[in-house]
Amino acid sequence: MKLPYYPGCTLKDRTSQLETTALACAEKLDVQLEEMPNWTCCGGVYPVSETKIVNLVAPFRILKEVQEAGDDKLVTICDFCYNVLKRTNLIIREDSVKRTRLNLFLSDDDRRWAASGRRVGEGQEYDGGVKVLHYLEMLRDELGFEAVAAAVSKPLEDLKIAPYYGCNLLRPPLEMDLDDPEDPRIMEDFLGSMGAQVVEFPYRIECCGSFLSLSSPQIARRLCHTILESARKNGADAIMLSCPMCFYNLEQKQSEFARHFPGFRPMPVFFFSQLLALALGLDPASLGFERNFADPVPLLKEKHLV
Amino acid sequence: MKRIGVFVCGCGINIAKTVDVKKVVEEIGHYPGVVYATDYQYMCSDPGQKMIQEAIEREHLDGIIVAACSPTLHEFTFRRASEAVGLNPYQCEIANIREQCSWVHQDKEIATAKAIKITKSIIEKERLNDSLSPISVFMTRRALVIGGGIAGIQAALDIADSGYEVILVEKEPSIGGHMAQLSETFPTLDCSQCILTPKMVEISHHPKIKLLAYSEVVNVGGYVGNFNVKILKKPRYVKEDLCNNCGECFKVCPVVVPNEFERGLGSRYAIYIPFPQAVPSICTIDADACLGLFPLACNKCKEVCEPNAVDYDMKPEIIEETVGAIVVATGYDLLPSEELKEYGNGRNPDIIDGLHFERLLSASGPTQGVIRRPSDGKVPKEVVFVQCAGSRDPEKHLPYCSKFCCMYTAKHALLYKHRVPDGQPYIFYIDVRTAGKGYEEFYHRVSEQEGVVYLRGKVSKIFQDGDGLMVWGVDTLTGKKVEITADMVVLATGAVPAEGSKKLFANLKLACDENGFLSEAHPKLRPVESLTPGFFLAGAAQGPRDIPETVAQAGGAASKVIGMFSQEMLLHDPIVAVVDENLCSGCKICISACPYDAREFDEEKNIVRVNELLCEGCGACVAACPSGATQQQNITDDQIREMVKVVLGE
Ligand SMILES: Cc1cc2nc3c(=O)[nH]c(=O)nc-3n(C[C@H](O)[C@H](O)[C@H](O)COP(=O)(O)OP(=O)(O)OC[C@H]3O[C@@H](n4cnc5c(N)ncnc54)[C@H](O)[C@@H]3O)c2cc1C
Repeated sequence: MKLPYYPGCTLKDRTSQLETTALACAEKLDVQLEEMPNWTCCGGVYPVSETKIVNLVAPFRILKEVQEAGDDKLVTICDFCYNVLKRTNLIIREDSVKRTRLNLFLSDDDRRWAASGRRVGEGQEYDGGVKVLHYLEMLRDELGFEAVAAAVSKPLEDLKIAPYYGCNLLRPPLEMDLDDPEDPRIMEDFLGSMGAQVVEFPYRIECCGSFLSLSSPQIARRLCHTILESARKNGADAIMLSCPMCFYNLEQKQSEFARHFPGFRPMPVFFFSQLLALALGLDPASLGFERNFADPVPLLKEKHLV
Repeated sequence: MKRIGVFVCGCGINIAKTVDVKKVVEEIGHYPGVVYATDYQYMCSDPGQKMIQEAIEREHLDGIIVAACSPTLHEFTFRRASEAVGLNPYQCEIANIREQCSWVHQDKEIATAKAIKITKSIIEKERLNDSLSPISVFMTRRALVIGGGIAGIQAALDIADSGYEVILVEKEPSIGGHMAQLSETFPTLDCSQCILTPKMVEISHHPKIKLLAYSEVVNVGGYVGNFNVKILKKPRYVKEDLCNNCGECFKVCPVVVPNEFERGLGSRYAIYIPFPQAVPSICTIDADACLGLFPLACNKCKEVCEPNAVDYDMKPEIIEETVGAIVVATGYDLLPSEELKEYGNGRNPDIIDGLHFERLLSASGPTQGVIRRPSDGKVPKEVVFVQCAGSRDPEKHLPYCSKFCCMYTAKHALLYKHRVPDGQPYIFYIDVRTAGKGYEEFYHRVSEQEGVVYLRGKVSKIFQDGDGLMVWGVDTLTGKKVEITADMVVLATGAVPAEGSKKLFANLKLACDENGFLSEAHPKLRPVESLTPGFFLAGAAQGPRDIPETVAQAGGAASKVIGMFSQEMLLHDPIVAVVDENLCSGCKICISACPYDAREFDEEKNIVRVNELLCEGCGACVAACPSGATQQQNITDDQIREMVKVVLGE
């Protein structure tokens, strides 16, 4: 299976371990993820303005390029990019006025590109036909979790993992339409396919604070502390997540927790792709754990996974 | 040529303000065939009608046109007046110069010209009208009531008490519906079973009522006055005439399963009676649970059954009946808690719904009326009641208000407080709706004198937190987030149409609203009739409603049935489709066009006929017929052609 792939900026920088492990796993699973040429920033957050469309141009161009290259699917890994691309695509499909305006906007651009001798898609309307897939969704719907299970060589049997969803993957639910927003199963099923023990905890869909960690860090800190402690209380060894923002708040920021919450013990946080890499038998030394604040290696050693 | 009279109404100034009534009379007076024309301020008044009647007699009129308001308002008035002086009512026509003219125009000159055209076109129609008389239909004076809740019980008793036979079909082993499950009823707190069971007993002994419990209506054919009904009687595997409900079989049955009547909080055997006062008072074998059926591995109950009532070989039975009218009273069910993912997803035993709580409150319930939480039998000391769980939530669940929850939640909190005096009930609400006699007073008593905490706001999430349940909500009056650790949560889940009713209503071709509740013929003026003639509505099948309202409506539906049965003959409007047998090619297009199943193919003659009693005169077949073989009585192609000519000014 060959699919075009959109990385986004965070995966090239702060959380490159998410990209490298996800791509290595894809290779192992016989999925060719081809990084699309000429990709730009997706915009980062979906614009809340109902009337201004200029913020939609960047994701629009990305999607249009996918269609022009003859593809009808696009895989992303970052939850923020997934959220922006998927919602932009939906608005293109459902709002004919915005669709036309965006297409007109970019047709000028095309002409400029044509003049510069680069690839053109002039006269071709982008209609929202590309299906935007999250990596996890690709595993579930394109490959199938059974195929993942079949490829697992080192089942994560003794690992008690609490899956944490955050918000961008699931909300707003009607637009994202990935899973039930109140009772999602995709991460649980994914963990199940790798043989891990799933720990359900009530905070798995509560907010991590997102950008509040910059403007009001004490709020984000409190939220994340509650999430981690709830997972621990329910018996989790570690948390699994998919969003770089959540990783920053729940993992990287643990460095500050001991100062604010006496007695706090760090808790390992994995990207889903790191656990998949482990289960698929990739070299544990290559999974980027050195970037974690809460070192997961002792836990993995204890469970005989490294 | 017909002698035609025209009567132009000014309707006070409703018409006269924008239409020059005198001018209409003058112009129409010269129109061919018109021998008399006049105007009057209020044609529908007694003097107005009298004027018409006198003119009909004096001028020997063969047909009259009343140029006035919409025919939906006074056509009947003027036709009756005409008939009283010997003019066939179908020779009286209405020209609508109010709703379709004076009310929608300002320019008097143009409006007057239009009123003249409208009137002339109706004259052309009337010229070709036939004298018709209503089609009279023989009627079966026996009613079918579907659903044996309080609505169906009340309707059945009211009809039967008037001397007409009733067949009452209930899908469950016993009648009673949800009311049988309730403990005490608001606002008077009388015991639900105590006021219901006398009526249930009356049903079982009423000489005019044939009760078919554990049965379902599978098909309805025919038409108002003469419905042919097929009813499936499910096998109880116990002979109804022999079982005396002695209870010996329960003592030996080895299979224990959750009891549906107790909402799973109590258990029953595979051979069972759902509750002691069940009507009919007969045991039923649950085919899915019994070991004695397929294959035969146990026959303990048969061995001990003294009257020899157990019959493992019983088969489903189809019963056919003819009835004249049908009352649909299939009630409601609660939105399954599984739909409410944020409230525990139906997986937590201590998050229950209102009917569960009714069973916990009931002295005959699984805990003998002691409030114990399902998970460990502990008496809960902190109980949170969540109103509008799924109701009034158009984005995620049900858009409508389920109507009875505010009141039963107040009742629940009160009864809880009486049973567990040191317990603390909390109620989350959007707003409290108490529109009923004595309801507001009841709510005040609960909220002010009984130590119940009312919190105005919604609950966002409920989850297991150690031994208790964490309830997250908001108190919008203080603007604060509220967290309560509760021992038990009671969800006032929204009411939805009864399970299986979607299929039933489709089968009966009954119109429903967007939420699946039955639609009434008119929301204000015909609230207990369906748009399909011969069908009447009672109870929560039409929308959530409490017992007093249900009983009133059931009585209303019953009196409509009784009114219909008290007529000598059923009269059907003769404005129906007719087929010219010489022109019909038997192409059958009209059969698919007809929404009323009024078309039948005659194999012998290779033509399609109209069943006049089913035909509602909608005209769909006339438009569909490619050869012009089908015509509508008194609105034929010829008539329409003449009307169009006038309108176009030819
Ligand atoms: C928790 C709770 C507490 C309540 N407390 C009160 C109270 O205190 N006071 C009050 O006034 N109201 C109360 N109500 C409302 C009350 O339950 C209803 O008003 C009443 O039950 C409506 O009666 P019904 O006959 O229309 O419907 P139902 O009681 O639902 O009866 C319908 C019957 O039709 C049968 N049926 C369904 N489909 C078919 C079919 N296809 N074929 C044959 N039979 C069928 C069902 O089995 C059932 O027997 C309460 C409701 C709830 C949920």
